[in-house]
Formats: sequence, structure tokens, C-alpha cells
Amino acid sequence: MNENMDWQPLWLTFKLASITSVLLLFFAIPVAYWLAFGKFKGRGIVEALIGMPLVLPPSVIGFYLLLAFSPSYIFGSWIEANLGFRLVFSFPGLVIASLIYSFPFMVYPIRAGLQSIPHSLHEASYTLGKSKTETFFKVLLPNIKPALLTAFVLTFAHTVGEFGVVLMIGGNIPGVTKVASVAIYNEVEALNYGVANQYALILFASTFAILLIVYSINNRLLRVRQGA
Amino acid sequence: MINRLLSVITLLVSLLSCSKPSEDLMIATAANVQYVMQDIKAEFEKESGKKIQIIVGSSGKLTTQIREGAPYDVFVSADEKYPNEIYKNGGSDDAPKVYATGTLVLWSKNLDSAQVNLEKLTDPEIHKIALADPKTAPYGLAAEQAIKKLGIYGPVKPKLVFGESIAQTTQYISSGAAEVGFTALSIVLSSELKGNGFYTVIDSTLHDPIAQAAILLKHSENSPKKAASEAFYHFLFSEKAKAIFSKYGYK
Repeated sequence: MNENMDWQPLWLTFKLASITSVLLLFFAIPVAYWLAFGKFKGRGIVEALIGMPLVLPPSVIGFYLLLAFSPSYIFGSWIEANLGFRLVFSFPGLVIASLIYSFPFMVYPIRAGLQSIPHSLHEASYTLGKSKTETFFKVLLPNIKPALLTAFVLTFAHTVGEFGVVLMIGGNIPGVTKVASVAIYNEVEALNYGVANQYALILFASTFAILLIVYSINNRLLRVRQGA
Repeated sequence: MINRLLSVITLLVSLLSCSKPSEDLMIATAANVQYVMQDIKAEFEKESGKKIQIIVGSSGKLTTQIREGAPYDVFVSADEKYPNEIYKNGGSDDAPKVYATGTLVLWSKNLDSAQVNLEKLTDPEIHKIALADPKTAPYGLAAEQAIKKLGIYGPVKPKLVFGESIAQTTQYISSGAAEVGFTALSIVLSSELKGNGFYTVIDSTLHDPIAQAAILLKHSENSPKKAASEAFYHFLFSEKAKAIFSKYGYK
């Protein structure tokens, strides 16, 4: 029953995680800013909604996305009629699912980073006649580099670890939706423990390496700041 | 602080140890047999007075669990490969036996009857065709063999989506996420799905027979459930059980 390991699921996993993380970085920064400094009613509701993917079982998200993406239901049939493609069993569908699933992992660290910046820094910038936008890009963002890095990497790693959602809406298509976590599951089920172990080891080693690099960089950044 | 933590742990441990192992028979059941098993269970419970718990999963997953020591008494598989694997690994003293032969169907929830046909799978209106993973699921393998034998594997391949078991495949079809797909006759004949959509039986000469075997697991050897496990295993091959299986389209 031994078969050779296929690199495609691993490559697909890292592709999904990279695309998701880059897209989320752009979506999450404005939301994090809004949560950190915005004054609005119903903040609790917004925060609870954003945090939902942290606590919901992935199968719940997967189940609702399956219904949403299926052409038998309103959203899926609208997409198919207007954009001409189907989200269920497709790579774009997985990207959308991952965006939802990993959203809080990107938003929360960035918001925490923004909130940790001393208020005097914004004020100094405004006093020097800088606009809000300029302050944001030239003062705030450079000051939360460790938070940005942490957010990016947590999102990446969390997407690599995605399993339940992909199992529900992916359809296990090689090269399209068969990511490494699902491939491991299938190989175990096919009693190919050897192949499953190869995938699992690679995921273990690479995610460990990623976290190690991040923490080393973050520690250095913090030391530089404390030294200065 | 530490004391409080310890008391919480003690509480948890005592809660866990309260739950004593169940006296019920644990029957690991392949997904395609899950509906017919409800009837078998009712009949056996009536006859023997024993209680049964049915654990549904794909045969591959259940086999993995059994190999790693899951406390099941009998394994009712969807094929012969997995029970043989268990037998070879010493999971049982008796070789597995075939209790039924399954029937493959092509099924759709929304298409009309003329379109639910193997030849129509190449039609452009059909975007997705669901089947169970041929590597692990016998009905998936049979479906793949049928498509290959008809010579349409090439054009159809980009449309294939794979459920991890026949249950997920069925759910892909019944939710309409895939227009059409391959599943077991026993599933479309179940009371849950009867009258839903349209199905055609696939000519059984297009694929290897889907011989489904069951195996009495060793776990039951030293357990008080041994006699009941054996009784259930034999019941699977009784005339009564045969009648129930044939009601669900098994041969």
C-alpha cells in the first residue's frame, strides 16, 4: 500500500496560506485601526463577530460556507449566474473560507500593536503638521512592525493548519483543493502511515521554523527598541 | 492557586472515572450501511435483548481506529480490503466474511431523469461529479472503474470532486453542490432520501463487485460482551438480515 509522497498538497497549502495572509493584511489593517481608535456604537457586536472564527467549530463555518457556495442556494447561484464560476470545490472558494477563518488572527495582534503606541506619538506627529494618513503610514505602521509580523505569521500558520473547513467545502481535488492537512487525513485512512508521516513531519518542521524565525526577529526588534 | 488547580484536576479525574465502560455492543459501520443498519439493529435488539451502538465512518477511518485500539466489537465494512487488513494484522481470529454485495448508482437531486446517465456526464451543463475517494472508498473505486471502462475518464476528470466517504459524497449531491454523483443504492433507498431526485443503477459489469465483508474483532475476546458480539456477527448472515439487506438493494 505504500505510495510515494506527492509535493502538490504541500505546495498548495503554502500557496493558500500565502495568498490568504497577504490579502488579509490589507483587509485587516483598516479594521484593526478602526477597532483601536474608532468611537462608535455597537463595538461589542463588531468585536464579537470578528472573534467568532476563534471559537466556532470549523465544521460550523464549513457547513454554512458549503450551503452558501452551493449553486442550489441564493448566494452560490447568484455568483454562478453573474461571475460564471462556482466557489464550492474551487481554490478561490478555499481562499474566501480562509479569509473568514483566519481574520481574527490578523486583526487582533495589529489592533493590540496600534493600541500599545503611546498617545504622545500621534500628538507629536499632529503637532508637527502631519495629516492623519501621513501619521498612520510614517509613524504608526513603522512602530508596530513586530505586531504586523506576528499577525502575518499567525495567520499563515493558522491557514496551514486549516482542516475542518477544507474538508467540508474542498472536495479533495488534487492540485486544486487537496491541501496537506487533508492529504495527511486521507493517507492515514488509506493506511499509508509512511506517507502521512512524511507530510506531517514537513508541516511540523516548517511551521516550527517559521515561528522560530518570527520570535527571533521580534525579540531583536524589541531589544533594539528598548536599547534606543 | 496551585491547591485550587489540584482540586479541579482531582474533580475532573473523578468525573472521568465515574463513567464505566459501556455494556452496549459497539458496531463499527461503514457509511453506506448506516441506514440498513438501523433496521438490523432494531431486529437484533428485539431478538436478543442486547443494546447496540452504531459508530458510522468510512471503512478506512474505522480500520485505522481499530488498528489503534478502538473498542469496537464487530466491524461491518464497505469492502473486503480493510477487514482483510485487520485480519492480517491479528485483529481477529476469524477471516472476514462477505455479508452483502453493494449496488452503485448515479444520483442527482435536481437533474431530470434523462440526464442522470453515464453517457451524459460529459455534457457541459454538468460541472461537478461527486464520488467517494477511490483510494479509500469501494464505491468510489467502482465509480472510477465504470468511468474508465466507458472511456470517458479523460473528459470527465476535471469535473470530479471527491468526498472523504460515501456519506460526504451523498451530502455533496443532496446539497446540490455537485449536480450529479455516484453513491450506494442503499443510501438513495433509505427513508431519509427516498423520493429525492432521480437515480440510475450502474451496470455491475462496468466495475468489480462491491463485496462487503464484516469481521468479528478480537477486542471482544476477553470481554463480557463476547457472546453477544458473536451472536450479532452471526445475525448478519442470517436469513432475517438477508431480507433486510435486499430491501435496501444489496444482493
